[in-house]
Amino acid sequence: MKSFRVLLVILLVLVGVVALTACGGGSGDETIKVGAIFDLTGATSDVGTPYSEGVTDFVKWYNDKGGVDGRQIELISADYAYKVDQAEQLYSQYVSEGVVAFMGWGTGDTEALRSRIAADEIPFMSASYSDVLGNPSEAPYNFMIGTGYGAQAVIAVQAGLDAGATKFAIFHHDSPFGQSPVDMAKNYAVAHGATMDVFPMPGGATDFTAELTQVQEAGIEYLLIQNVSSPAATLVRNIADFGLDVQVVCLNWCTDELFASLAGDAGEGVMGASPYAFPGSGAAGLTEMEAYVTSNGGKLEDKGIRYVAGWLTMEVMTAGLEKVVADKDDVTGANLRAALETMDVFDTGGITQPLKFSASDHAANKAVQLFKIDGGRWTKTSDYLLPIP
Amino acid sequence: MESGIFHTRYESDMALRRTPLMRWRIYLAVAFLLIFPFVGNSYTLTLADQIGIAAIGAIGLNILTGFTGQISLGQGGFMAIGAYTSGVLTTHMGLPWWLTIPIACIMTALVGGIFGIPSLRLKGLYLAIATLAAQQIIQWAIVRSALGTDALVVPPIKVLGTTLNKLRIGPFGGVDFWFYWIIYLFLALTILFTVNLFRTKVGRAFIAIRDQDIAAEVMGVNLFRYKLLSFATSSFIVGLAGALLAQYRGIVNYERFTIDASIFYLAVIIIGGLGSVSGSVYGAIFMTLLPAILSNLGRSLGSTAPAIARLVPFVQQGVFGLTIVLFLVFEPEGLAKIWRNIKDYFRLWPFSY
Repeated sequence: MKSFRVLLVILLVLVGVVALTACGGGSGDETIKVGAIFDLTGATSDVGTPYSEGVTDFVKWYNDKGGVDGRQIELISADYAYKVDQAEQLYSQYVSEGVVAFMGWGTGDTEALRSRIAADEIPFMSASYSDVLGNPSEAPYNFMIGTGYGAQAVIAVQAGLDAGATKFAIFHHDSPFGQSPVDMAKNYAVAHGATMDVFPMPGGATDFTAELTQVQEAGIEYLLIQNVSSPAATLVRNIADFGLDVQVVCLNWCTDELFASLAGDAGEGVMGASPYAFPGSGAAGLTEMEAYVTSNGGKLEDKGIRYVAGWLTMEVMTAGLEKVVADKDDVTGANLRAALETMDVFDTGGITQPLKFSASDHAANKAVQLFKIDGGRWTKTSDYLLPIP
Repeated sequence: MESGIFHTRYESDMALRRTPLMRWRIYLAVAFLLIFPFVGNSYTLTLADQIGIAAIGAIGLNILTGFTGQISLGQGGFMAIGAYTSGVLTTHMGLPWWLTIPIACIMTALVGGIFGIPSLRLKGLYLAIATLAAQQIIQWAIVRSALGTDALVVPPIKVLGTTLNKLRIGPFGGVDFWFYWIIYLFLALTILFTVNLFRTKVGRAFIAIRDQDIAAEVMGVNLFRYKLLSFATSSFIVGLAGALLAQYRGIVNYERFTIDASIFYLAVIIIGGLGSVSGSVYGAIFMTLLPAILSNLGRSLGSTAPAIARLVPFVQQGVFGLTIVLFLVFEPEGLAKIWRNIKDYFRLWPFSY
């Protein structure tokens, strides 16, 4: 009996030791490791899935082409179900496996990792476009490919002012993501003699009649939405049922194919501000993606605009890696950051405005294009517009 | 051959660790914890740190829910109070980090006490809804205040002029390594405090309230006072978990402290064992490691069979839920009870009747 207990203890210690040694991983020299987390099963999986396909497909396509000067990119990725704790686990796991760059996804993980990536010197790109992430003094290792939410809202207000509107409202997701553009948009409107009413959209709300009554009484002409597609579509359907005559402008997270299909007839005439060109818009930069998707038996238009964003974000990160290798520097996070900052203007072939980072500005993209839903499809109504101070 | 544990002296009956084996288990655990950071890498240390913080938070919740029987869905909100208090005091007031932690704990205890007031009149599901309201109110207040729009960046801890990240002794160092010691020191203190709490008059009053509140009141337990005390004690420790999280991650963002966090901690104590300190720790280990293990299994599965790689994340979610359901079906009293069953089995083996 006693000896059995001793045996048990020894066994447990052995198991612990084996488990620990199994965790230490070696790192190869040949490949360049990039970590990524995707939301495939969580709250934002509807847009997270095509974004992840864009990122992974770019890496496949690029490696087939030969990689970075013969070195393949090894994308280490997993689903994190939009859970911050899991994002942190995966991040530290991948960093201990030697990744030099990291592809994030949403506001939650991007904010949670902001301090750590700076300490670990890991350049980070995600699909969260809070304006603060473009400011290297606040977020030294974050790089932003999409236009900042505040800049998007300012351009949307500008379009309204040009059309003669003076009464604006913004409906936003009730979170830091949603609030992010509110102050900039409001200040801009007020500075130009207009007004801006602010309405938070609580999560899960299906009826906005109370808010819309206020909108009607205030005589709002332009209504901005900073939210994701399904609540935005609910709001637009409410507006149609209510019979309200306002021009709705979606910022980039509801300017997508999903919104157009969810909103249906109520979506007709809704405007959208998007940093990215829609598939099928004929932008030259889309042809490579289109050829790749078609060769795999799909259609780029079915993949949608989030796929384009994922592909492009990974492409820009890779351009930075190419510069590090071309400069014969060691492939490290710090060198990658320097390379991204000093990289030439990156021409996306019309998918976005040409991108340029600098040591004092990590928001490469300042412009958006305006679109309008016409017959259930987003059609371009403007060229790239920049915010005018 | 033993046929059970029998005590012949009061001292041995009342001891914290009542059998030699229990003492040895503690020595082994401490030895393991002392050696672990020197063999772990930043990934395993991250997991260990997350487990430590989750264990502190779970012990806090267990005092309230497992020991006093007051169900709480406000855990995320109370953690947020701790995290934001510690974060704001270091960032905006320039206080040293170690001073902000006790202040954050006291602040959370006060807020927890206030939200505990309805517990005198409310029980069970009604109290669950009242604490859910606490969660929503705290979250709303944070999102609407100046704290909500941008995440709060907490300056890194400096020792002798260098940040923890750069501080190295030989090959050992980094934020995860140093915080391991801080977190596990606090976890040890929390465990010692809580285990001893339930050997005192106050702790026994908590348990009396849980088992039968009317009987407790008849015996002379002041329900209002002890319920508030339970809320405050629980929140104090939950605030500690929040403050440690803020200092460890270097950034405070409300998205970490939503209702999801409250449910996560409830799951931890239910799986670990309601009314058990060691159960809280087992639960924290289980709930933190299960997704990590599933994700690593999924990864190796995905690389050997790429055809099913696409399905892996969904299978992970399913397995996660299934494991929890099976646990609850086969042992509703949690991991702590499973551990007791195993011990009893071997203790009485081979004649368990």
